[in-house]
Amino acid sequence: MFNNLNGILFVTLLPLLIVGQGFLYLWLAARFGQEVILTSQMGQTAIQHLVKVLPAMAALPIETQLKVLLLNQFSFFLLLIPTMIAISFATFSIVDEKLSHSLEALLATPVRTWELLLGKALSGSLPAIVITWLCSLVFLLGVVGLGWSHLIGLVVTPSWYISLFLLTPAVAVLSFMLGIIGSSRAADPKGAQNIALVVIFPVFALIGVQVTGLVWFTPLLTLALALGIGVVDIFVLRVATHLFQRESIVIRWR
Amino acid sequence: MEGLSLAVEPGEVLGFLGPNGSGKTTTIRMLAGIIAPTSGYAVVAGLRPDQQPERLHEVIGLLTESPGFYDRLSVRRNLEYFAGFYSGLDIPAQVEKYLRLIGLWERRGDRVGTLSKGMKQRLALARSLLHEPKVLFLDEPTAGLDPEAAHEVREMIKKLSQEGRTILLCTHNLAEAELLCHRIAVIRTRLLALDSAERLRQRLFHHQVTIRLETLSSPIVAAVEKLPFVQSFSHDENQLTTELDAPERNLPELIKCVVEAGGRITEVSEKQHSLEDVYLTLVREGESIGS
Repeated sequence: MFNNLNGILFVTLLPLLIVGQGFLYLWLAARFGQEVILTSQMGQTAIQHLVKVLPAMAALPIETQLKVLLLNQFSFFLLLIPTMIAISFATFSIVDEKLSHSLEALLATPVRTWELLLGKALSGSLPAIVITWLCSLVFLLGVVGLGWSHLIGLVVTPSWYISLFLLTPAVAVLSFMLGIIGSSRAADPKGAQNIALVVIFPVFALIGVQVTGLVWFTPLLTLALALGIGVVDIFVLRVATHLFQRESIVIRWR
Repeated sequence: MEGLSLAVEPGEVLGFLGPNGSGKTTTIRMLAGIIAPTSGYAVVAGLRPDQQPERLHEVIGLLTESPGFYDRLSVRRNLEYFAGFYSGLDIPAQVEKYLRLIGLWERRGDRVGTLSKGMKQRLALARSLLHEPKVLFLDEPTAGLDPEAAHEVREMIKKLSQEGRTILLCTHNLAEAELLCHRIAVIRTRLLALDSAERLRQRLFHHQVTIRLETLSSPIVAAVEKLPFVQSFSHDENQLTTELDAPERNLPELIKCVVEAGGRITEVSEKQHSLEDVYLTLVREGESIGS
């Protein structure tokens, strides 16, 4: 992927676009949506959750509480980055192997299918994880740029670290594995990506659940989510291994 | 493939010949444990490909139809990568050994994408040998190579055979099959024939002998016609052409008969049917002459 312009643009521009969009929504909400959010049941519930988790918030003015609330949505918004990048790496990974005819030679070695897929998942997720971490730094710089640097301590919380260092890798690996499942069933990269995009919707659901205040992801809950997705990763690896049809990939793909 | 049953002796080179789509590559893939058969089973190096593919892959080497390398990695890095899947290998030593053997040690730092087709094919052969496999599956090892590169690959295969490795060789090149293989299996979705090239010739075609004489007289013609081992017989001017059974036994008797009938022989020549004749006869007629 890094050897053509499209690939490079994808892994640099897409994350920046996501971060940029996030900041835009943040700014618009803080600038023009204060009244709507603060007077809505949803907004009030969300702020109440936030104050429970961060007691230091209680002493802050309501407008500042709103800014902290909006900034805290970002950790899940950032999950879109490892999701989309890992999927793209995954789809090109298997399809590229097939098109370069290196897959058959690989299948003639003693490597087991699950070892092959796990190795690809771990190595293929790494760029997505690193790019997400870099984008989180860009996000923090953006917070400073907006003149909200005094709020960073209320954003970079234990939940933030758990999301960045446990949840992001788990989601990246999950996205990669689903991308592999898509690749081994579809005949070309586009078809594979279409199948794998199904993972995007749960990420949006996570964002929605927190934004609407239905659930507030405390450090413990974030940790449980990360571990839960880790367990799902193991299950999806087994499914991907089972669905990785050597005959179809070696014989029918032309 | 249907009804394929055969046994290959240790150290034997068995050639698979057949038209496109006849099942040669499919057979190799099944035996190498890449794909599973729908029925039946195989035992390769004492292992079942359908039950123990990973153990099997430790002791077999496969040269695929397309070399299949990572073009952006170097020659050495490609081999090191594949060697890493095998246990107990001294990877640097084996990589150096086989790169030197195939004459690519000096190119070890170059990207595989910069190599010619012949070099990639030799590199693919080296890859299949890194772990010193007992059994080799070679799928069209000289396809698309220029004569010099093809000759080099054939010499390597001969050397491997002399080392006692068991080799299954898929090829369209009949001369190559005749040169390298102890026995040849002709297949067309099923096994049509399995034997050495020479025995296949003998079983399909009678031995044709042409005897040129100073003069051909009717007593000579009459004497030859009476011989029981002459399957067919034609003559013109001063030449006899016969097809014989068991030529190693009957050719001396034929010559003796001609001389006793008064013939003065100026030349005796034998027509050798080519492997191409054998192959075309089998494939076109779909004749199964047993194995």
